[in-house]
Parts: sequence; C-alpha cells; structure tokens
Amino acid sequence: MLGRSAILLLSIFIILSLGVWHYARQSANYSYDRLLNSASLSIMEGLHVYGKQVDLDLPYAAFEMMQLADQDKVFYQVLGTQGELITGYADMPLSDEFNEESPIFFYNAHYLSEEVRVVIRHKRLSEPAVSGWVTVVLAQTLRARHQMMSDILYRSFVVLFGIMVCVMIVLWVAINRALEPLSSISKSLASHSLLSAEPIKATPIQEVSPLVSAINDYQAQLLSNLAVMKRFIADASHQIRTAQSATQAQLDLASQSQNLADLPEHLDKIRKEHERLTRLTNQLLTHAMVVHRGDTAVTEKVDVESVMKQLLTECVRDNVHRLIEFSYQCERKLPLLMGDSISLREAVRNLLDNAVSYGSEQNQIEICLRTDATGIDIMIDDAGPGIPIELRAKALERFQRLDNGLSGSGLGLSIVTSVVEAHGGNFFLEDSPLGGLRARLRLPNEAVS
Amino acid sequence: MKLLSILIILLASKAFAESAALETVWESDKLTVYSATDLNAIAPVLQAFRIQNPNIKLEYHEFNTQELDRAIRAKPLADQPDVVISSAMDLQVRLVNDGYAQPVLGEAVEALPSWANWRNEVIGFTYEPIVFVYNKEAFEEKTVPLTHESLASAMRLEDDFFAHKVGSYDARSSGIGYLVATQDEVTSSISGRLQESLGRARTKVYGQTSVLLDDITSGKLIFGYNLLGSYSFAREKRDSRIGVVIPQDYALVVSRAVFISKQAKHVSNAQRFVNFLISKEGQEVIAKKSELMALTPDIDALVSRQNLQDQTINFHPIPLGPALMVYLDDSKRRRFIKAWESALLSIKPNP
Repeated sequence: MLGRSAILLLSIFIILSLGVWHYARQSANYSYDRLLNSASLSIMEGLHVYGKQVDLDLPYAAFEMMQLADQDKVFYQVLGTQGELITGYADMPLSDEFNEESPIFFYNAHYLSEEVRVVIRHKRLSEPAVSGWVTVVLAQTLRARHQMMSDILYRSFVVLFGIMVCVMIVLWVAINRALEPLSSISKSLASHSLLSAEPIKATPIQEVSPLVSAINDYQAQLLSNLAVMKRFIADASHQIRTAQSATQAQLDLASQSQNLADLPEHLDKIRKEHERLTRLTNQLLTHAMVVHRGDTAVTEKVDVESVMKQLLTECVRDNVHRLIEFSYQCERKLPLLMGDSISLREAVRNLLDNAVSYGSEQNQIEICLRTDATGIDIMIDDAGPGIPIELRAKALERFQRLDNGLSGSGLGLSIVTSVVEAHGGNFFLEDSPLGGLRARLRLPNEAVS
Repeated sequence: MKLLSILIILLASKAFAESAALETVWESDKLTVYSATDLNAIAPVLQAFRIQNPNIKLEYHEFNTQELDRAIRAKPLADQPDVVISSAMDLQVRLVNDGYAQPVLGEAVEALPSWANWRNEVIGFTYEPIVFVYNKEAFEEKTVPLTHESLASAMRLEDDFFAHKVGSYDARSSGIGYLVATQDEVTSSISGRLQESLGRARTKVYGQTSVLLDDITSGKLIFGYNLLGSYSFAREKRDSRIGVVIPQDYALVVSRAVFISKQAKHVSNAQRFVNFLISKEGQEVIAKKSELMALTPDIDALVSRQNLQDQTINFHPIPLGPALMVYLDDSKRRRFIKAWESALLSIKPNP
C-alpha cells in the first residue's frame, strides 16, 4: 500500500519537476530577455545622425544594465541603413528567421565559442539626410540565466521534496491509523475460538463497530445453529439406540423362550420394533434431505395443484384397504410457486401419513388449497381425534410424540416445519371443520412468478 | 543510493582526469608572461615566485598597455603567452570577453572582492589609487590642491603658475591614461570642467609614467594629474623632491588585471603563478617588496600621511566587467578622443 503510494508520489514528483523545470527556464529567460530588451533600447537611443552619417554614442547605461548579469559576456553590433557596420563586433551571428516587420526578435546562437542569447532590434530613421532601417544586435552569454534557473530549480525542489516527505509521513500515519482497528480485530479473531461463546470485545473506534457486531451476530447464529444440530444429533441417536435396544430385547426374549407357542407373539413385537426403526431412519434421512435442500435453496416453478393431486392419488392407492374417505378441494387456479417440489411433497406426505395413522379406521381426509393476494394455503383436514390446543406447540417439537400408543418417529411435523420455513412460510395446527385437526401450510407467493 | 555512488565515481574520475591533465599533459618547466608592468616594479614578485617554484623557467616580456593588446590579438592562437598582465583593465576585459582567457581555479579566486574578479577569468591583484603628484619646491609657498574641484579652481585662478607645468597621460597612446580619463567622465560630474582647466594650463601629455615622474622631479613640471599611485608612491619614497596626494573627493583605484590564456601551453604553471599573485605570500611580497600595491593596502597609512584624520577618502575601485568595454567602442573612442583633444590640446587664448 505504502509502496504503491510512494510510486504514485514519485510520478507526481517527476511531473511536477518537469513543470518546475519548464517554469524555471521560462522565468529565467523572461527576466534576462527583458534586460537585453532594455539594453538594446538604450543602445538604440544612442544612435544619432551627423550630417549624412549615422553614428553611435554607446550609452554607458546600456552596459551597466547588462552588467546586472555580472558574470556574462556582452557582444553587440550596430548596422546602418545600408546594412553597413557602424560599430561593434563585425561577425555577429544573425538569424535567418528575423524579418523586418517585427521591431524586436530574440534567438539563441553560438558566438566566439559561447552559447549566447541574441536580441535584434530595428528602428526606422527618417531624417532628411538618412532614411532607412538601422539595426542593433545585442548578445549575452547564458551564465546568469542558468544560475537563476538552477536557483529556482533548487528552491522549488527543496519545497517539493519537503511536501512529498510530509505527504508520505501523513499517508503512512493515516493508513496505519485507518487499518489499526482492522488489524486489532484480526488479531483478536486469530486468538479467538469460533466455538467459544464469548463475543469479540467491542472496539472504541466507531467506524469498525458495525463490523465487530456483525462478526458477533454471525458467531451467535453459528453457535445457535450448532446447538440445534447437537441437540438433534443427541436426540436422533437416543431414538435410534432406544429402538435398537428394544428390538434387541425382543430378540433376546424370543431366543430364550422355551415355549414355541410364544414365538409368533415375539416375532410380531420384533416386526413392530423393526418397523418403528425403519420409519425413524427414513424420517431422519428425509429430515436431513429437507434441511439440506432448504439450506441450498433448490428452487423451481412448482405447480402445487398437480403435486397435491398426485400425492392424494398415491395416498388413496396405498390406503385402498382402509375405510378412509379422501377428498380434494381447490377453489381456483393456483399460481405457480417458486419452491422445491420434492420438499413440499415430503411435507404433505408426512401430514397425510399422520392423518391416516393417527385417525380412526373410518376417517375423512381432505386436501384443501386456497390462494389470496399474499400467498397460498395448503390445508390437510381430518376427522380424527385431533390434538388439544395446549399440546399443539409440543407436537411441533422434534421427537415429541403425543402419548397415543401408536408408532411414530416424532420427526414428521418437524420435517414439515423445516420445509415451510425454507419456503419462507408458516405452519399452523388448527381445528378442522371436519372435526379433527387441520394442518395448514402458509406459503407466501413473493416468489411466485 | 546506487545512483549516488555512481555520481561520486563519475565526479571522482572527472576530477582525476582533470588533475592528470594538469599535472602531466601540460606539465613543462616554462611559463611565458606578457605584461604591461615595469619590470623594476614587479621584479620582487617574480623573484619570490621563482624561489617558491625553482623548476619553472619564467619568461617575462614587457609591453605598454596598447601594444600588449595589439600583440595578443595579432598573435596566432598557437603562439599565445600563458599569462597576460596589464593595468589597462578595459583592454583586459575586452580580451576576456572575446574569449582569450580561461578560468583561474582555486579558493583564493572565490575570496576576491567582486570588483576585482570577472567570471574568474580576469582578476585584479593590485590596488593602485590614481593620484596627484606635485613638485614640493614649487608648492612650498602654496597649498596643494587636495580634490578635483580645488585643482580645477586653482588652475583657473592661477593660470600663470600652472601654465605649461602640468602633465598627464596621453589618452591617445597610453592605455591606462585612456582608462582613467574615461572613468573620470563616468565617475565625476566636473570632469568636463577639469579637462577644460587642464587645457587652459596647456597640459603636457606623456605616454609613460616614469618620464612624467622624471619631469615633475626635475621641476620641468610642477604638477602631475591622474598618475598611477603605485609608481608615484615608489618614486616619492626614493626621491623627496616630489609629493603624492590621494584626491579626497574621489580616488579612482586601478587594479592590475591578469588572465590565463585560453591557449596557454603551461596551464598548471600559469594557474600556480596567478594563484601566487593573489595568495597571502604573494600579496605580502607585492605590499612590502615591490613597487606595486597589494589588494588590501594599508589604507590608514596612506591616509594618515596626508594628515587627514577628519576626512576619509572615497576610494572608487574600477570594477572589472563588460561596462569597461563601452569606451573601447570605436565610435565612442573616436568621439571621446576628439573631445579630449579639443579640451586639452587646442591652444586657447587667455581670457
């Protein structure tokens, strides 16, 4: 970070330096060109006409002016109207670019093995005896210009360099201060176990406190999910062990039994225990699948009606030997729902199974679909004994079986709850108009397309 | 860091190359000096240099100032002398301006006062006030004029006393004469009046200081205007018949100017010689043994000689610089000489 800033600053420094160099050159040239200009003007003032002759009385002031650049040589030349030399150096370098229209012209040249800055100045004489253009050529070596330029450069570089150093220091401090809270957080995260219940210490720095609380929230969520998972595993393993040991006990009894006549009874008990275990295992796997699908948010467009119809058809087929009356009711066409059809099917199948197994032999079971502006309701009614209001909350807990002597895993309603929650909906146990229990899945249609 | 070390290496190698060039390539035992200075006046300085550098064979050629200038310009580049000395500062500056010189190296150069150094290429190594010289016997009964102003008045008032008895340099043939005459014009507002007074006194003009001093000593002249202080003081020391006055209102100071030829064949010897001239030892020799005057003269001694405790003399050193070239301009020179001639040399009837 600091290295990149340094490179950036260095490039700025170089660009500014070029600017300063240009400025220094310009101002040195400007200052000393003005000096040349005034001196040439002064020399021009010294031109006089005597009879038919143009003559120069070289003004001392012109050279004193030139002596302001006290280390520089001076060369001059004065030409008459015919271009003849009046006085001065005979072989001054004249510029080709000079034209008669501009009264003054500056250029650089080489003379007597010195680099010089030259000014040419024109003046029209219109005396009766002499008329025409006279020319003053004045040249000066560049020492004072270079001196001034390097002075300006030196000073500007000192200032520039100072500013750059200050900026670097400020930048360094600022970056460190800005990143300090982050590094302190990462330090405390490094020494922090995610599974410990202790949150990260709140930081006094305002800008990062949201980050700290976000990390703490995340941790809390993780911990609570972990706790749920632990309890689920504990419960599940307890249930499985119970079922296994019951089966084991029945097997032991059967093998020790002397009476062959008791054997069918033992076998029947073993079969029941085994059925319970199988059902439990299936439910656990279903639960795991449903939770997984909910977590990974598998969604598609689901035609709820056809799923329900198919389910009901299967259910009727499975329970054809029973005296249960199935019915299906759908008020109007349901919109497609964004969701997971497999999870939904599992949930409703569980509810139908429950209705079948906990109800009487002559039950009445109805799937009723309803829709309104905010979502759809899937309701499974039965005419069974129902669940008293005070026990309904308990019924939704996992591995809680209402003591009715029937085999059940205690996972069915938990699966339903998981599925409904994964769809962003709610699960209710209510009184059914058929006299039994109504299980209502409320699914919001915000995901309905 | 790496860049810095490269730079140091470069500098070091450059310095090494330069010193090597100085020490070996041009090393020789000769040194040619062209000078517009009386050999008598400068001899002790040359002697001291020879003692310090016994293996350098110093050749000294004497010229007058304008001859020297012409000689340098006429000589082909290959035959240039190593060192050129002249009290005609303007001619020296113009030679340097025209590229005949190379810089003098050394710390002593940087320490020189600014008026005695231009571009490190031409250097003043003496301090010679321009003075009035008078014949003591002639002025026994009279007050000696101590300022330019009082001289002008005296010559106007006592026409007969001064007539044909005043001498000065010939600005046409003497380089130093031209320099001080033009600098008078630059420095003082009464120079025109003074020139006129000099003309009325029918001032005689001389090309050489020594002849002028001879005539004042012998009584042929009674007053000398604008003489080089160094020679005058030296003569006064030897001969009690003359007196020297440093003008009180202003005293121009000429500094003998020296430069090293660009084409010098014995550069290191030349550098050594010029550095010797401005070194402490060299200046001491100039002050104590020669007829010249050192850069930092004992001004108090000069002033107290004239019993002038209450007044300080306004010394006006002529600065080395391109402004000195103004009066060397052909047209300017023509004009000045014409005015000078008409003022000093045309016979005017007494009013």
